[in-house]
Amino acid sequence: MTNVTADMSNPPPTSALPAIASRGHGGPSTLQRLAQQPRVVIGGGIVLAILLVAIFAPWLAPHDPLGQDLLHMLAPPMWMEGGSADFPLGTDSLGRCVLSRVLFGARVALLVALCSALGAMIVGSTLAIVAGYFGGKIDRLICYIVDLWMSFPPVVLSLILLVGLGTGVDKVILAVVLVDWTRFCRVVRADVLVTRQRDYVNAARLMGFSHLRTMLREVLPAVLPLMITLFSIEMGVATIVEATLSFIGLSVPPEMTTWGQMLADGRGDIRTALWCMLVPVFAIILTVLGCNLLGDGLRVALDPRLRSRGE
Amino acid sequence: MFHVTCMIAVRRLLAAIPTLLLLALVVFVVLRLLPVDPLATMLPPSATAADAAAMRQQLGLDQPIPVQFLIWLRDAASGSLGTSINFRQPVTGLIVAALPATIELALLGLILALFISIPGGVLAYVLHVRKRETAADVGVTVLQSVPAFLWGLLLIIVFGVLWPVLPFSGRIADDITLPGLTGFALVDLLIKGRFDAWLSALSHLLLPALALALGFAPLVIRVLRSSLIDAAREPYVEVARLRGVPESRILWRHMLKNAALPTITMIGVQFGFLFGSALLVEMIFGFPGIGNLMVQAVKGNDMPLIQGIALLFCVLMLAINAIVDVLYVLMNPRLRVS
Amino acid sequence: MLSLINITLSTKAHGKPVELLRNVSFTLQRGQVLGLVGESGAGKSMIGKLISGIPPEGFEVSRGRILFDDLDLMALNREQWRSLLGRRIAYIPQEPLTALNPVMTIGQTFDEHLMLLGIPGQERAAMILKQLESVHLPNVKDMVQRYPHQLSGGQCQRVLIAMAYAANPSLIIADEPTTALDVVSQARVLSLLREQQRIHETAVILITHDLRLAAHVCDHIAVLYAGEQIEYGPAREVLRAPRHPYTKALHEATPDVQGPQRVLAQLKGQMPGVSLLASMTGCRFAPRCPGRNDACEHGQSELRETAAGHWVRCASACEIRPMPALQATAGESTALPWSAPGGQPEAAPIVELKNVMLRYTAKRGWFGRNKVENRAVDDFSLQIQPGEFVGIVGESGSGKSSVARLIVGTEQPSSGEVIINGIDRRQAGRDVMHLVREQVQMIFQDPHSALNPRRSVMQLLTQAYEIDHHGAGATLRPRQEQARLLLQDVGLPPDCLERFPTQLSGGQKQRVNIGRALCMMPRLLVADEIVSGLDVSVQAQILNLLLELNREHGIGLLLISHDLSVVRYLCSRVLVMQAGKVVEQGRTEDVFANPQHAYTRLLLEAVPPADASVQWPPVAAAA
Repeated sequence: MTNVTADMSNPPPTSALPAIASRGHGGPSTLQRLAQQPRVVIGGGIVLAILLVAIFAPWLAPHDPLGQDLLHMLAPPMWMEGGSADFPLGTDSLGRCVLSRVLFGARVALLVALCSALGAMIVGSTLAIVAGYFGGKIDRLICYIVDLWMSFPPVVLSLILLVGLGTGVDKVILAVVLVDWTRFCRVVRADVLVTRQRDYVNAARLMGFSHLRTMLREVLPAVLPLMITLFSIEMGVATIVEATLSFIGLSVPPEMTTWGQMLADGRGDIRTALWCMLVPVFAIILTVLGCNLLGDGLRVALDPRLRSRGE
Repeated sequence: MFHVTCMIAVRRLLAAIPTLLLLALVVFVVLRLLPVDPLATMLPPSATAADAAAMRQQLGLDQPIPVQFLIWLRDAASGSLGTSINFRQPVTGLIVAALPATIELALLGLILALFISIPGGVLAYVLHVRKRETAADVGVTVLQSVPAFLWGLLLIIVFGVLWPVLPFSGRIADDITLPGLTGFALVDLLIKGRFDAWLSALSHLLLPALALALGFAPLVIRVLRSSLIDAAREPYVEVARLRGVPESRILWRHMLKNAALPTITMIGVQFGFLFGSALLVEMIFGFPGIGNLMVQAVKGNDMPLIQGIALLFCVLMLAINAIVDVLYVLMNPRLRVS
Repeated sequence: MLSLINITLSTKAHGKPVELLRNVSFTLQRGQVLGLVGESGAGKSMIGKLISGIPPEGFEVSRGRILFDDLDLMALNREQWRSLLGRRIAYIPQEPLTALNPVMTIGQTFDEHLMLLGIPGQERAAMILKQLESVHLPNVKDMVQRYPHQLSGGQCQRVLIAMAYAANPSLIIADEPTTALDVVSQARVLSLLREQQRIHETAVILITHDLRLAAHVCDHIAVLYAGEQIEYGPAREVLRAPRHPYTKALHEATPDVQGPQRVLAQLKGQMPGVSLLASMTGCRFAPRCPGRNDACEHGQSELRETAAGHWVRCASACEIRPMPALQATAGESTALPWSAPGGQPEAAPIVELKNVMLRYTAKRGWFGRNKVENRAVDDFSLQIQPGEFVGIVGESGSGKSSVARLIVGTEQPSSGEVIINGIDRRQAGRDVMHLVREQVQMIFQDPHSALNPRRSVMQLLTQAYEIDHHGAGATLRPRQEQARLLLQDVGLPPDCLERFPTQLSGGQKQRVNIGRALCMMPRLLVADEIVSGLDVSVQAQILNLLLELNREHGIGLLLISHDLSVVRYLCSRVLVMQAGKVVEQGRTEDVFANPQHAYTRLLLEAVPPADASVQWPPVAAAA
């Protein structure tokens, strides 16, 4: 190509960082950007802390969560009058240590949160990508199923499912996945539709890429940030659902400790022993807050629209 | 415009019928997955196998499942949803008695939510524009992390125990009976002119409705804020500014009208959420509505009652979706006049 | 009555102060039209917003004054300035369809505008009707009830013009008012603008990227480059005898619809962006200027008057001596050394369409009883020989993009045949599909959405490598090498290989687009409006690149465009489409010199001519 004057390109207007440092967009790498977002750091920190608590509960808890000490029923937390360092957060009406129970409750909460969020993400996103990518009849069918499914209030549906499935952690996870995949599907599908319009997807097809390849290599990476954000928020939702179900008494057998159970137990003593209820309330709010902050921060860090405005 | 509304309503209704049937089927099948014998609670311990078989035949439980479903459908179409096992009363009657309470609660909850979230959303947007929004944003996230039933518990603690100004149990003071005209306490008592009773009813509604509202409002604030941000980016906003339209007018008259559309859609989508919260909130406050009934039914494995209420929820959701659709079309000129 | 004196607009980029606009000065008298001409990023829209008192966020006027009638605008506070808007200073925006609130009717929007102007309630309705009639809108009573989405772009723009003139302002700022409209509407709206301006004797600032358009419609022109005003003079003069090298280049980079053919002049590179301006000393055009010398790099020059009323800002005083000719090839004259690619007439056609029809049905009414049929393409036939450049022109909705999609295979025809290389597309089995595919490749219109932002340029250019090639893999070059060759082919420097699309400019992205399409050596490229989003100087680069590719590799091209001059430059044959049908076709020179069909004539008349003395828009267009 001798005759055409080569384009002596100017350095690009946006970032001056060399391409080596980038993870794919020519700017600061994704991890760097994530670390700069305070919400990600704080939310992620909270979730991580609760995860560690859940894993190490047997070593952290001072007592057996099911152990009843009938001599010390409704003992107040240690900073109040009548409390002792033996039971740092007091005891409930059966003499069980509140701190130990709340630590062990984290196990069920996080197990349900992680597994059901993962399941809902996989099921919902797969259907969303298929629906948005192919469009037409497939899209209409999947949308109809989603609309159908969403015609049930989520809590009602999970109640009914549990009546049908019985109690147990795995059944709770299954119930949450069956209820919440629709939310993933709806939101991710909207993003898939936008990506589908992009010419680079058409270009890939015109070059002869198979449908599967195009979906995996062109569409999926574009919607992955949204999926991760939703995953984080879904963990919070799953925690709430699990607490709701165990509050009613439907989720796990009584040998397992959950925050919802603690709420139900503490309700009866609301006038005399507030801490029995406040501790699990606080635990639930903290967990959900961590998940929401993380999801929020991820959304801001990974959304190219919000990002480019700052540059 | 009327023509369009009719068309949409009819189309929705026709689409709703197969949906309803499908949902009813799903509920029916799911409930029968569990090998819990509904008879176990109904028979005395001394019953023999023959007694059990007789009862089974009487209740129609010996038929195959598809037949049971069709029988149930036939009865439902004529208004009978079976008899509650635990209450030993017709399901329809129980539902009709409890439904108005829940509707009243949900409506009041929605109104309170709008009262909180419309100014809240606008405020969040204004803070975003002035770049002072981080604290408010985190605040909304914190609020969003508290589900309605936890709000209920917290409200009980604050306003019922620590500072007892409001009642937190039941629908009305024990010594007052409701007139039972429409079933809506506030309406009936107003008609009858019994203002002290009306105040009692209102005060009983306040805490649970507030719990629902607080659970719902952060979501609406979020959607309204981002809809306003999107609307602000639209060219017509800048052009209006260049025409000399004052900022406040742009916000309230121009942007809000446009931002209302996606907000209403979101409210419609999340309405199921509101119903689900109502379940637990009613339970916590001992409010005699559908939610409370459902919880009792589920705890007692009361199949007919569960089915009946589930069917009711389906009908309610489909109705609300239809209303939201119609509302959206009426408000969006692009759909209204094409 | 409007004077800008040494206006400088500054902002901070990466902590350093940058002067986005520098020393812009001009004066506008009542009843005169000033054209602000420049490519995108030159700062012309900024000036418009500045005068309106709403500079974009983060920018402020660091120097200079704006005098409007008797007011010093910089001394006013926001409230006072805002009170001028709509009354004495009116604004006509670029995209008319989105410039009106979609949930309010035209009548409601207009009513609000009049209310804010202080016109009492009873008079408003009558005034709205009168204003709308004055802009030649039909059925005004009906129009008042309509919503913006029910109007066409041209109609919306008329409404906006009516609203702008409602208060009889002294100044109107029209920011690219016709860019978003198609060519026929463009001519009509400009006539309307001129007519209204003469009646009311308003001063108008017309912001546009099209030098020729400005020359015909405006009294004076100020040319902007990278925020600097580099030339100012009477409109016809600036077009006929441009003094500044940039203006010359702009003029010579725009293809002509009529008159002798010539090589398009290319400028290398592109206009510097904000972050670069901070580090530039001296003349901002210097890096691209073919006639630059040392004096240009240091020190800023002043605007100097060279002829009566004609001012130029150039350090090396190039306007005094003759400019070295801007050439794309090594030839001496600027006359076109080659003819537009005509292909090999004897060879078998690469692409053949026979009586193709594409039909969409929309359902209306209750339960979709009434079916409305829309024929996007009707009875279309075409043959393209190898190495031939064919153009399809028409306005939006004419069906030309549908034809492109039919050829490439994104859409299937409702009837008729699409034959690629002898194989009917519909009957091609999976095994021969790749043969069909490799013959014809598409270059997409929007370079920003056509490249996956997560892939490097190397991966994008050779994306075709990721598919199994049925045993042809043995004959392919290694991927890296192929990428490097393609990069050279499209004229990009080797360090681009590792870059990502977000680091490239629009022109560079389009080159990568073309390179990607070339990877498998197709015999035909289908290009749908590939240069419409690019600046004129960058456009010329891409057009010359396509001609170069034809000379080196013998590739054919099907060019879809609404821009007749581009088609004339590239294509030997042209088809004119209207509402799905071909209304005229033939050799480009013949069709454009002697249009037979009324529609073709309409399209040709709507293009601003290069000859400054011709009257444009034609008087008939005002109707």
